[in-house]
Amino acid sequence: MSPSHGGLGLKLVLDRIIMKRGSWSCAADGILVPGIHLISGRVGSGKTTLAELICGLLEPTSGELVLDGISSWMLCQQFPEYHVIGATLEKEAQSYGVVPELALDRAGLTGRGGEDPFCLSRGELRKLQFSCLSLCDRDLFVWDEPYSALDCREKQRVAQHLSTRSSGITILFTHEQRYFPKTDYLWEMCDGVLKYVGKVPEALPLWEHAPSHIRFLIGKGVIPANLTEEDLGEALCRMQG
Amino acid sequence: MQDARLRLFSVLLLSAATYLSIAGALLTLFWLFLYPAALVSTVKSKALYILLPFTGIVALVMQIIGENGISYFIRIGILLLLAFTIFQGWTPGEFLDLAVWLFGTGIGFDIGLAIELTIQGIKDADQDWSRVLTAMKLKGMHPEFRNLASIGFLMIQLRLLRADDQADLLTTRGYKKGGSCCPHFEPSNRDIIASLCAILILLVSFMAVRDIFILMM
Repeated sequence: MSPSHGGLGLKLVLDRIIMKRGSWSCAADGILVPGIHLISGRVGSGKTTLAELICGLLEPTSGELVLDGISSWMLCQQFPEYHVIGATLEKEAQSYGVVPELALDRAGLTGRGGEDPFCLSRGELRKLQFSCLSLCDRDLFVWDEPYSALDCREKQRVAQHLSTRSSGITILFTHEQRYFPKTDYLWEMCDGVLKYVGKVPEALPLWEHAPSHIRFLIGKGVIPANLTEEDLGEALCRMQG
Repeated sequence: MQDARLRLFSVLLLSAATYLSIAGALLTLFWLFLYPAALVSTVKSKALYILLPFTGIVALVMQIIGENGISYFIRIGILLLLAFTIFQGWTPGEFLDLAVWLFGTGIGFDIGLAIELTIQGIKDADQDWSRVLTAMKLKGMHPEFRNLASIGFLMIQLRLLRADDQADLLTTRGYKKGGSCCPHFEPSNRDIIASLCAILILLVSFMAVRDIFILMM
């Protein structure tokens, strides 16, 4: 089962995709329409492999991937250093095709354009990568664990920014348990198989590996309107009457 | 080959045989068929096809100046095939085992560690190259000649950073000089037969091809 077509012309079709590596395998079958898709799953469940398959960095063992109407796409890889190709922060920002000053400013790195990207901590590098990517516009944006190496405040900023992506298909692969953007569709990677859970919030009670606080709320009969901090706070207030 | 000692022994003999004569080279080629899986992955290796044309150019120049370029091309080509096939069979830690077995836990450990780190470095460089290409692809860029210098610089920098991390790790684990290692080898009957074949091939390679046919008759 997959979400119904949003009618905005873009569609990502995962047609019985299977990826095999020795005894390990991952499978995906479904259609992703414009909106924010959260794909959660435990470590080693195949999230990164699926993200790379979607972006054409890996060839599936079988099945087909169809990018219907999608002319531009971007993958935010899990490790920010994998993106680095510039000798300085300024050149690195330029390599994304964005205005370096703006990207550096957003990342809190104003005036450090001449520095070596590898002199930054992984968290700072992640902030720069996120800042550059947030200035890019793509039909399909795949975020593979964008919260890694970030502190709570930065995770919050990432979630808030992702919530603002109104056009195109946004796919968020994460095992994050606390900070989520305003999500339209919920998916789960269970034992290497992608499973469509449903539209948020209706799907929340069906979320097998939901974070404990969400399970607690649902257990108390309160279904949050969405997964953002505000929505969860509001649900908590409802529960307490 | 399971046993790293027999593998090293065989590769030394076969390298000498291949270099010495065409007969030795052709017999080495037959010897490689003892390990078809490794040979198949060697034939698929891109690096082999990058190196072969250089050998071809040297062979061509030799032929033009009146030397036996064809013989050179066959011998060096098979030598490359041998090197790549043998390399496919190596697993991490084998060089350390081999060096410690040969030279002991002092200098042997240091030599083995240096070889292991070097080989790991080659594999890392290969991965770094793939990652740089992926990053460029994601950013809508293509590797061009003018980018090569900056990519090369980036890869050297990555290597140096990793070397720094490895040095820190070794220091943290108390490495100063030498170390303890218990080499373990598992020779199989197939390895022994392959090694005996390598000895025979070396002996045959000393003979001229014409002599081999005389012996056969």
